[in-house]
Amino acid sequence: MSQQTSSTKRERRDAARAERLERERAAVAAAQRKRRLTMLAGALAAAAVIVVVAVLVSSGGGGGKKTAAGGGAVVGAAATQQLLAGIPQQGLTLGNAGAPVTIVEFVDPQCPYCRDYSVNELPTVIQQQVRTGKAKLELRMLHFIGPDSTTAARALTAAGMQNKLFNAAEVLYHNQGEENSGYVTDAYLRRILGAVPGLDVNRAMQDASSTTVTEELGTAQTAQSRYGVGGTPTILVGPTGGTLKADGEQTPTAVGIAKLVDAAAAQKA
Amino acid sequence: MIDRRLRLAGVVLAVLGIGVATYLTVVHYAGLEAVCNIAHGCHKVQSSKYAELAGVPVAVLGLAGYAGILGALVVDGEVGRLAAAVMALAGFGFSMYLTYRELATIDAICQWCVLSAILMTLLAVVTVWRLLVVAPRELVAT
Repeated sequence: MSQQTSSTKRERRDAARAERLERERAAVAAAQRKRRLTMLAGALAAAAVIVVVAVLVSSGGGGGKKTAAGGGAVVGAAATQQLLAGIPQQGLTLGNAGAPVTIVEFVDPQCPYCRDYSVNELPTVIQQQVRTGKAKLELRMLHFIGPDSTTAARALTAAGMQNKLFNAAEVLYHNQGEENSGYVTDAYLRRILGAVPGLDVNRAMQDASSTTVTEELGTAQTAQSRYGVGGTPTILVGPTGGTLKADGEQTPTAVGIAKLVDAAAAQKA
Repeated sequence: MIDRRLRLAGVVLAVLGIGVATYLTVVHYAGLEAVCNIAHGCHKVQSSKYAELAGVPVAVLGLAGYAGILGALVVDGEVGRLAAAVMALAGFGFSMYLTYRELATIDAICQWCVLSAILMTLLAVVTVWRLLVVAPRELVAT
């Protein structure tokens, strides 16, 4: 009887111990689960913050100067007028037709790097190379980024038919909008072209859909293939009538182009 | 055992990602055109404003991201697992945003970017899985 009682006692004690261990295991498992979920929530929150900041920076959210593309005023018209005043223009060419060196630029109206180059480097190139008569500049308009590129390229090429290509292109770059956002409307183009003194806007808008413009853009694409132009902006420099050499810089600079112009001039001499 | 397998899978994916990002970085700085014989949209994508973030090429950011994930995978413990998951999830989120931009804004697909997005997605899965499966050391039952 006493042995039976002792055995039952031990069984009860063992059962209580097993129950306690089970409770402890469950508590640890619950704590682990909670800890893991907290870590996952923390990781998700931290990642979300990083992504939101990156997206805001990437999409250029906040703050910048409002241009014609965003419904603001047309900017850069006066500076462009001042930059190009007195320099002869003929179709796609800026500068003295008899200049010993030719600089060819391949650009897309929507390309942001072309905008940076046009606004930050081109003025120096024009002042140092074109205005001085050392080189002439040819602009080849590509339109691979999207429909807005095509519409803008057609209007700019039409401005070239009135020998105002460089004025129109420079003003457009100052007022470039969000890629493929549909900002290149007739109204936008009229405002850009309207900021170019001496340009007949109605005629340019009409010419933009002409076969002459289509052929000109086709010629630019042919030249692109011929010279193996893989991106924009691409700058080629060479002695006029001679072989053109590509500017090897990642982003074209006035300094790099000046070196190529000097080398081409020496070749010509 | 499962931690070791997941970590190994993560290391392999991160190394592949470093390869892709290194190639795109070299292409960017050398001014070359990326080999693009499937979708033919690499040039268009790389010429867009989304190819850079605050002036830094996205390829360089990708390279730094993959290298960071690889480094975190090598570190033992909770901090390493957490850091790897945060970086992979952030990379995944930003890859999704860039893919959306390719489809909706740029209207072109760059095969290298797609490959990178796939690698980052797999890395996010692996690192989160690791975070959920491996028990926090100080709470392991004895």
